[in-house]
Amino acid sequence: MLIQSTVFYFFSAILVASALAMISVRNPVHAVLFLVLVFFTSAAIWLLLEAEFLAITLVLVYVGAVMVLFLFVVMMLDINLAKMRAGFARYLPVGLLVGIVMAVEMAVILSRPAFDLQKPQAKPADYSNTQELGELLFTEYIYPFEIAGVILLVAIIAAITLTMHKRTRAKRQSPARQVSADRAERVRLVSMDKE
Amino acid sequence: MKILCLIIVLAPLAGALIAGLSGRSIGRAGAHWVTITGVALSFLLSLVVFKQVILDPAASMSIDVYRWAVLGGLNLKVGFLIDPLTVTMMLVVTFVSLMVHIYTIGYMHDDPGYQRFFAYISLFTFSMLMLVMSNNFLQLFFGWEAVGLVSYLLIGFWYTRESAIHANLKAFLVNRVGDFGFLLGIAAVLAVFGSLDYLAVFSQAPGASGQTIAIAAGIEWPAMTVICLLLFVGAMAKSAQVPLHVWLPDSMEGPTPISALIHAATMVTAGIFMVARMSPLFEFSDVALSVILVIGALTAFFMGLVGIVQNDIKRVVAYSTLSQLGYMTVALGASAYSIAIFHLFTHAFFKALLFLAAGSVIVALHHEQDMRKMGGLRERMPVTYWTALIGTLALVGFPGFSGFFSKDAIIEAVHYSNLPGAGLAYILVTAGVFITAFYSFRLLFLTFHGESPDRGKVVGRITESPAVITVPLVLLAIPSVFAGLFIGPLVFGDYFGDSLRVLDHHGAVAELQSHYHGLGSFIVHGFQGPAVWLMFAGILSAWWVYRRQPTIADLGKRKLRLLYNVLFYKYGFDELYQGLFATGTHRVGTVCSSFGDRMLIDGLVVNGFARAVNWCSLRVRNVQSGYLYHYAFTMILGLLVLLGIRYL
Amino acid sequence: MESLNADVLMALPEVFMLAAASVVLLIGLYTGRASETLAYVLSLAALITTAVLVYSTSASSESFAFGGMYLNDPLAQAIKLFACVTVAAVLMYARPYLQQRARISAEFYALGLFATLGTLVMASAHNFVLIYLGLELLSLCLYALVAFVRDSRDASEAAIKYFVLGAIASGMLLYGMSIMYGLTGSLDLAGINAYLAQSGANRIALVFALAFIVVGLAFKFGAVPFHMWVPDVYQGAPTAITLFIATMPKLAAFVMAIRLLNYGLQELLADWQQMLMVLTVLSVVFGNVIAIAQTNIKRMLAYSAISHIGFILLGILPGTDFGYAAALFYTVIYVLMAAGTFGVLILLGDREREMDRLVDLKGLAKTSPWFALIMMVLMFSMAGVPLTVGFYAKLYVLQSLVYDGWLSVAVLAVVMSVVGAFYYLRVVKYMYFDEADDVFQVQPSGLAQAVLSVNGLLVVALFIFPNALLNYCVQVLG
Repeated sequence: MLIQSTVFYFFSAILVASALAMISVRNPVHAVLFLVLVFFTSAAIWLLLEAEFLAITLVLVYVGAVMVLFLFVVMMLDINLAKMRAGFARYLPVGLLVGIVMAVEMAVILSRPAFDLQKPQAKPADYSNTQELGELLFTEYIYPFEIAGVILLVAIIAAITLTMHKRTRAKRQSPARQVSADRAERVRLVSMDKE
Repeated sequence: MKILCLIIVLAPLAGALIAGLSGRSIGRAGAHWVTITGVALSFLLSLVVFKQVILDPAASMSIDVYRWAVLGGLNLKVGFLIDPLTVTMMLVVTFVSLMVHIYTIGYMHDDPGYQRFFAYISLFTFSMLMLVMSNNFLQLFFGWEAVGLVSYLLIGFWYTRESAIHANLKAFLVNRVGDFGFLLGIAAVLAVFGSLDYLAVFSQAPGASGQTIAIAAGIEWPAMTVICLLLFVGAMAKSAQVPLHVWLPDSMEGPTPISALIHAATMVTAGIFMVARMSPLFEFSDVALSVILVIGALTAFFMGLVGIVQNDIKRVVAYSTLSQLGYMTVALGASAYSIAIFHLFTHAFFKALLFLAAGSVIVALHHEQDMRKMGGLRERMPVTYWTALIGTLALVGFPGFSGFFSKDAIIEAVHYSNLPGAGLAYILVTAGVFITAFYSFRLLFLTFHGESPDRGKVVGRITESPAVITVPLVLLAIPSVFAGLFIGPLVFGDYFGDSLRVLDHHGAVAELQSHYHGLGSFIVHGFQGPAVWLMFAGILSAWWVYRRQPTIADLGKRKLRLLYNVLFYKYGFDELYQGLFATGTHRVGTVCSSFGDRMLIDGLVVNGFARAVNWCSLRVRNVQSGYLYHYAFTMILGLLVLLGIRYL
Repeated sequence: MESLNADVLMALPEVFMLAAASVVLLIGLYTGRASETLAYVLSLAALITTAVLVYSTSASSESFAFGGMYLNDPLAQAIKLFACVTVAAVLMYARPYLQQRARISAEFYALGLFATLGTLVMASAHNFVLIYLGLELLSLCLYALVAFVRDSRDASEAAIKYFVLGAIASGMLLYGMSIMYGLTGSLDLAGINAYLAQSGANRIALVFALAFIVVGLAFKFGAVPFHMWVPDVYQGAPTAITLFIATMPKLAAFVMAIRLLNYGLQELLADWQQMLMVLTVLSVVFGNVIAIAQTNIKRMLAYSAISHIGFILLGILPGTDFGYAAALFYTVIYVLMAAGTFGVLILLGDREREMDRLVDLKGLAKTSPWFALIMMVLMFSMAGVPLTVGFYAKLYVLQSLVYDGWLSVAVLAVVMSVVGAFYYLRVVKYMYFDEADDVFQVQPSGLAQAVLSVNGLLVVALFIFPNALLNYCVQVLG
């Protein structure tokens, strides 16, 4: 138990610290890297909860795919940091105040024993978290699962419609027109007077 | 039955909407076909309903069509009460309306507002049907106001004429006075009975007869008297009883078909109908009945007198309408509701006939209305002449014609009435017979007999009106002659069943009934009273004065200067109202407007408030800065408030 | 397997809508004019068919599917029917507008249908997960639609704002839901309700979760202070899209509120009443007051929408069945009025410019009297003037408040409606009493005009026959 708690607090501390760092560092690339760290530590905490599948998915999907893409974008865009941070100092006191009030409220409310549900029993070692999830998703949760699929579909549609420009001036070949062209279209015979 | 009633009511409305909204696209013929079809359909279905109700008295029913709204336990609904009284009115309204529709094709032939006119009269038919078929006070009020509105629109139909605008404003204002009383009456009904449904109210009426209402601190009046008097104020305005009669003669500024339909046959009888419909209430207030009796008698006599000195052909008929409405009111006062409705029934036919005949003359003379310039039209317009003669005979109560039965019955009923004021009323209505005969035949003689003063100029080209005008005349002439024959069942039989209620001690009708032994004996009995002889005397005098010795008229005018002037200026009601109410109110209004309204309310309250709000608005608008992080920040603040509101 | 078949059968409207939306999307692959018309016709057919399917699945009582996640009851049925009809009308309005600007493609219809699907899902959701998923589906489509006209800077800006703020709000909603799950151990609305009823769970923590859920709700509605996106999005989006956002999602928000507050968290009535009261009072006051200062008509209508949202929430506030019915009535009527108003703006705009400044309406009564008349009726209705159904909508809500003893709130609402009447009547003044600066050429478009006329007439007809609709609302929420 003690080891578990130690591990939890260790990762939590890193998580909170890197999250803070992420929003306060000057360099956007560094911020992205801190975000990666946030994901890693969260994955570790999930592992503590015996949610192996989710933990690995988080690392694979977010760190492996999303954040890499993000990093590319950030590096390619030329972001003017000085301009973006211009208001930082000005808004800091208000932001801090609100943040503190928020934190106090949360602390006051959540410090009391709230989550009094029965703690779930730890599962044996051969228990497959992944299989359980899969079974649930395709039986009990089939309806929300499908809806989630639709959301992803809509996201794809939205992304494509919003970004795909059909360039009207783009130069491209039209084989059909090329084949059906005839001589009259291409060659024009003109008779001219001699100079 | 419910569907049937709905069609009856909605068919004219549909016609009105089509003709009114798409008048331009369906054209003139389209407009009259669609409205006439609607009204004809109503008429035919009314006949069906009539047949059902009359054959089977149990078919009377109260139908709730639709619950419009519920306000604090009070049901506001739309519904129909179908009983003998209603079906009689439905028949009269739809029949006369149909005739007027057809007649209008000819009368308004050249008018640019053709479609608009048809839309209005169909709308009127709808409103009037809503009024008579209602089963509750609210719908009655709706119909009441709707017919008033259409009447206003139609009086001012030729809105470019200043006199027409003045007349419709006057009609509207005078009716407002009545509506005020009427509305208070309805409010009193609601206060006393807690319901607006006819049947519910009527069934509680006997129990409520002992109640009182405090009309001012310390003054308690019997509830029924207050209700009945207030309701009657409404009836006075709508049915043009003294002193709220002033709008009706002026309403003749409207086109003649309107005078026939609205201001003679149907709308003005709404007051009579309403009192008859409320007979279960009025029976419990002898005071109210007495007032009705006296007011009716005054109207019948004095308005007839004014008719003698009028020169405008339509105004004469209008004053005769006033006088006849007085007769109906008198009958109501004598608790002879069935006779009042009977007179309403016969009057609808012969007065519509007279108006349409007058209209026919007016059309033929290219909108000349002064009788002094007419004369000798008998040969030129035979159909108009004979139908007008029939109408006149019915109006004066010539034995055998419809008016005879109804009017004689009224006079007899007043004779038997034992309410205070009945004696005076009896004298006035009996004398009224002479007056009626005199002015009616004066009109006939001046218009159709003798020579026209400028015969060569005008009369030479005059021809009979076209068939669309004469056919309704003939169709109306038939009931004008024969409608009186229904007196047996209608008045003395059990025709109205439960729809009219008379208490035992108001026994005028019962008394009459005991003397009634068939039509023949009724006519013979008529000769035993003074009325018939007075009528003959009236005809004879008119003949003497206007045919035999035309100089007498001028002589009389000079010798009786004062009387003539009093009559010519219609007892000065117009001047009085103009001076007292119109000018006085205008002055008060000016003061209120300049000081109270413009300075206090507009300046301080409204504009001040508006400016304050505007100021706040401009300030607050700046919060919406357009910056995303401001927005997000506001959301966080909102969250904090929501979190904090409960515990922090 | 048997049970899955029955489940799918019950969710047939959703299944059908999904299939239809996919078909429309596939049609979009074939570019060209014909495919757009085909997509349009198919979309309308899909909406009508879905409405018929909804109608034919009898839902006289509550019936569940997918292990209690899917609920079919009269309320769900009503919302689905209204949503389908609304979207169909919106498409009919929007088509000529988008066509004129040559910006229409099958994706527009597909997104519209997917958004409708989101609403259908929410209407039948009986589980936090489904409520959230339906909401996200709907919102995602709306974000995309706002940005649909790519070359408009205003639209892009509005879309980004909408998206970011929407993401924050969804995050809060999700956070609240997850805490609620942690406290009650259930995602099922009935399960949560049962847990709350039988055990005195830690109220403070519950209220904490509740606050986050209410924020999500309030954002979806656009209630003050979570309204900031509304004016910017209404103004920035192309009018046809504004029309979409102003109408159908309100139905979704309403059903979401009822499901969450009444079905799931009824035990916390006293707590959410307080929160709603803050939201309603702020919405009614700020919405009406700020609307006065606007010069852009779309922006003015956005603030007016906020005040109407306040009224809808006022109906929910007492937590009585009649109040809910009044709120549903108000929602439906508001959707009707908003559709008509934006419909007028759509039909009046032309290729060169949007019809969006208030002064553009000057002299409309002369140039196109029929539109002016309809607009006037709609403005009167929004102001709550009798002879239009808006009067009843306000009346019922106020009645429900007074019955339950919220007199002071009711009085405030009335005062604020009076303030609101000012800017509605100003529109009428512009149309009828001012001379036009320049003549507007109205683009005749038969179908849209017919829909508009029906729309306007309904506003009046429902004043004469309000009871049919009210009774339906009462029955649905009884």
